[in-house]
Amino acid sequence: MTERVIEVAGVEKAYRFFRLGSVSLELEAGQILGFVGPNGAGKSTLMRILMGMIRHDRGTVRVLGHPIPEEQASAKRDIGFVSEDMRLHGNVTLAWYMKFVASIYAGWDAAYADVLLRRFNLHADQDIKALSHGERVKATLLLALARRPRLLLLDEPTTGLDPVARHEILTELMAVVEDERRAILFSSHNTQDVEQISDQITFIDRGRIIDSSDKETFIDRWRRLHLDVPAGVTLPALKDVVETRTSGRMAIITTRAYSPGTESIYERAGAHVREVQRMTLEEIFVANVMSNRKEQAA
Amino acid sequence: MSGSLVRRLILLDLYLMRWPVAGALVAGAVSIAVMPLGGVPAYVGGVSLICVIVILNIVLVMTFIVQEKKDKVQVFMLSLPVSTTQYLAAKLLANAIAFAGSWIALTVGVVAVIDVSALPNGSLPFLVTLLVYLLMYYCVLLATGVASDRTGWHATVITIGNVSVNFIIPWLLSQPSIYLNRTGPVAVWTGDVVAVLAVEAVVAVGAVGLGLYLRSRRTDFV
Repeated sequence: MTERVIEVAGVEKAYRFFRLGSVSLELEAGQILGFVGPNGAGKSTLMRILMGMIRHDRGTVRVLGHPIPEEQASAKRDIGFVSEDMRLHGNVTLAWYMKFVASIYAGWDAAYADVLLRRFNLHADQDIKALSHGERVKATLLLALARRPRLLLLDEPTTGLDPVARHEILTELMAVVEDERRAILFSSHNTQDVEQISDQITFIDRGRIIDSSDKETFIDRWRRLHLDVPAGVTLPALKDVVETRTSGRMAIITTRAYSPGTESIYERAGAHVREVQRMTLEEIFVANVMSNRKEQAA
Repeated sequence: MSGSLVRRLILLDLYLMRWPVAGALVAGAVSIAVMPLGGVPAYVGGVSLICVIVILNIVLVMTFIVQEKKDKVQVFMLSLPVSTTQYLAAKLLANAIAFAGSWIALTVGVVAVIDVSALPNGSLPFLVTLLVYLLMYYCVLLATGVASDRTGWHATVITIGNVSVNFIIPWLLSQPSIYLNRTGPVAVWTGDVVAVLAVEAVVAVGAVGLGLYLRSRRTDFV
């Protein structure tokens, strides 16, 4: 049986102007789950709940088999957590931090840490305060990866990084999950990064999980159909169509449940399907968010 | 593992606080050293000793508790295998050890210098109640730093704490039991002096207890 490293059931957390509403989520060993949402969607709140830094109001959270927040210290022995806003003390060197973290984790892999130093072009003797934003993120990632954790929680680690730094980090993460016992929960609002490394994707918006599936299913399900609609023809109202844009005799239909049968339905109604377009993950994400917001408002 | 990690976190903080603590000890030692000269040097030494302790108080709390929260350094520290309660305990203990250790060293130093020099031992009750007042001020600021993230509260406590020293000194000196004995050869620990010390101790302990209670009611640590 595959081990579940994250089990979140019905988790709620209310703030004055934000509410994380009944979130349920599972992650198995060996999986990379991309957690995608706009700014303020609740990604960081959920990440911090998983780390025990924020106490949830309702629901249950288990990480690596440990109930959170009660057994957060035990769970964190096998978690590597990196977040974009994470900082280190400025007046010490990276080497000092590596020594400090190595003294805590028996599984600290010094050889791998040296490899990462070279790969990330970091200098161990440099003061933390002299590091750029990208170098700081890479330093915190090094400190997390060299522990060889079973679970990596990465909260927008690529935000604000230049393309080269993003590439370096994503390449390293892809190497990490070649070990099938390890899992990654990777949050971002950058769908390109998520698409590159994730095999499972979950969309979150305004504190609610709005869709969740494996990457291939998302790409297969979502399509954009370009139709010619002769005068007098009325397009059938299909329940999985999330957006219809018309301009004269042309219509663009966005559907979240495409099948070859979808084309036949429009053809039978009298329309002509000119083109069926695959959508990028970003287009799927935006269409998904907007249609959900529309449904919520209705 | 968590117990030893708490010890490591305390040692980490003490390491990071080493320069402010060392600076305070050196400046405090110089302040105490000039006191036996009497007259203006004694006055300057006394005032600078108060300044050193107040500055150390503010630096330790604002840099290593408040600023660490603002800078999100604690997000990294909490990624280590430690609970939020253990992390908070480590922060408080390290800070208290750094301040109380320096405070004890300087207090013992000033008492010893007065004892062996020509300065009157009768001034000891005044000096000790004043130094305990500064310890109480530290406890109130520490509690505020732990309980609240609002800069306004920290600024309020620091302002009131600093200004209050200007009032506590004349108030203490106006107490007959302190005023009448201050130039005598023997330290006289009257009931009034002990009562002031007791109130200061109660306020200090109460403030820390209240700060921890308010912190425990919050559900978000970062």
